[in-house]
Amino acid sequence: MIVKIAFKNIWRNKLRSWVVIIAIALGIFGGLAVISTATGLSKMRQNNAIRTYVSHLQLHDSAYLKYGRLDDTINQQADIITYLEKSKKVKGISPRLKVESFIQSAGGTSGVILNGIDPEKERQVTDLAEQCIAGNFLERYKQKPPIIISQKLATKLNARVKTTIQCSFTNNIGVPITGIFKVVDIFSTSNSMYDELNAFVRLEDLQNLTSIQGSHEIAVVLHEEKEVEQFREELISKFPNQHIASWRGIAPDLGYADKMMDLVMTLFLIIIMLALAFGIVNTMLMAVLERKKELGMLISVGMNKRKVFWMIIWESIFLALIAGPLGIFSTYLAVNFFGRVGIDLSFAAQGLRSIGLESTLFPILDNKYYVIISILVIITAILSCIYPALKALKLNPAETLRTA
Amino acid sequence: MIKVTHVTKTYDDGKVRVEALRGINVEIKNGEFTAIVGPSGSGKTTLLNIIGGLDTPTEGNVIIGETNIALLSENQLIDFRLNHIGFVFQSYNLIPVLTAKENVEFLMLLQNKSEAERDERTTKLLKAVGLEDQINKKPNEMSGGQQQRVAVARALASKPDFILADEPTANLDSASTANLLDIMYRLNQEENMTFVFSTHDQRVIDRAKRVITVEDGKILSDIYT
Repeated sequence: MIVKIAFKNIWRNKLRSWVVIIAIALGIFGGLAVISTATGLSKMRQNNAIRTYVSHLQLHDSAYLKYGRLDDTINQQADIITYLEKSKKVKGISPRLKVESFIQSAGGTSGVILNGIDPEKERQVTDLAEQCIAGNFLERYKQKPPIIISQKLATKLNARVKTTIQCSFTNNIGVPITGIFKVVDIFSTSNSMYDELNAFVRLEDLQNLTSIQGSHEIAVVLHEEKEVEQFREELISKFPNQHIASWRGIAPDLGYADKMMDLVMTLFLIIIMLALAFGIVNTMLMAVLERKKELGMLISVGMNKRKVFWMIIWESIFLALIAGPLGIFSTYLAVNFFGRVGIDLSFAAQGLRSIGLESTLFPILDNKYYVIISILVIITAILSCIYPALKALKLNPAETLRTA
Repeated sequence: MIKVTHVTKTYDDGKVRVEALRGINVEIKNGEFTAIVGPSGSGKTTLLNIIGGLDTPTEGNVIIGETNIALLSENQLIDFRLNHIGFVFQSYNLIPVLTAKENVEFLMLLQNKSEAERDERTTKLLKAVGLEDQINKKPNEMSGGQQQRVAVARALASKPDFILADEPTANLDSASTANLLDIMYRLNQEENMTFVFSTHDQRVIDRAKRVITVEDGKILSDIYT
């Protein structure tokens, strides 16, 4: 009966109850929407970085990372590649030769890292080929070795497809070398800083020019991201002399962003719950003060204070039980819809690109947040109506019947 | 039997001190139909509240049956009221979200009575107050007189030792008052239910078997009619 009265009580003032329910639902929706958007942005930045330049794992010779010498190539390259190619976890591998270079055209100059790559293998680990405007990923060329530069660099160099450019660098013994390349394509990733600093040539061309065999880096992409750390451990035990880093180690900012997202989400959850708590405290306090006479009557006729207390608590739980699913379900629908269709942020495309983001955002919300929110809503509802319920317990029945 | 001895009640908020009751002594036997009368501020409602355990005396004892309710804790008093005292209030004070039947049933639920017993007694009581055809109506769908009759049925539902009614007819028209008094008088006659009213309604006073007049916190007269 207490539960029944509590449920009926919340519909005494339908308008007020609905305003509170909608406010709570909107609070939950808003909070979860922000969380899902932030998660989507973080995940997009992470995925873009992995797909564009970081990959899941990178292998280097330890000395190369320490001293940056050109001849510190991966000394077990053949064994490593064989091992990687045999592993079922590996989706793709790409060896790269990396040389710091001064690049110039008739229209301008810049400093870049020349990446010597095998186009076919690079396709397996990055989406660079898809970012090329002319669809010529170092594959079609005549006499001069091909090079791909970014749109940003092309603008800086005043270069376009078919422009001849010159790259200056040193070979394995420190002798200055100049390579003449023909721009065969122009790419544009979602990371403008990366674009400005990288250019791509064929691995064998760079090997010939620098007289360096092998590569400085092997990029690895796995089928499953969750297996990265485990596979890294496996590689370390197998090839202890190599420096093997996962994307979290290579680009710690991405990992920190991930951790920061957890913190931000926790803060958002606290804000949502505080808003919910204040809404419930306000409503229930009004409901108690409005019904002083009735509550006094209930205590007068023999309803003990424990039951009065629980009646108020149940009223609050019912408000949360209606508002919670409403907010959670509407969030679920919105996240699912925009998770498929995406949110168009093209009006801010340039700014987003400068921080490694695309202009279509796909919100993501882990299922655990629906469960956490559901539990927190109930707990908050109970906690926040304790004060109004205690207020009800302090009512003096004789006084309320006389004065209310 | 209700025995009130040397009861005083003083309200003191630090600024104003009001002596609402000044040494009240009164006995009300089972089966009485008693009206406590007096002008506003005379102390009749305070006396009724103290008899009903809604307020505690500053001094003195209130013994109901064999229990001195002045010595009970707050929780014990609530239980005592539930099982021994029926209340009828001036403004009905029904639970607005419940039907007439549910309002009457409410106290029996608090007493953990079985569903069968609740159903039987609710039907019987609503019939006794002439509302057997209104059982599913909510208070706002009934007239004042009907609501007060539901309140009487509710007061009787817990099988109390006596019923305290604070100005029960104050908000009723003549016909409803007469009807309500008939019902209460019949219950008093047929079931020996004790009724104690606080009132200044002459129609109630005329039907009472005993009239206790209170003025300035003292009993001015105590007359059996």
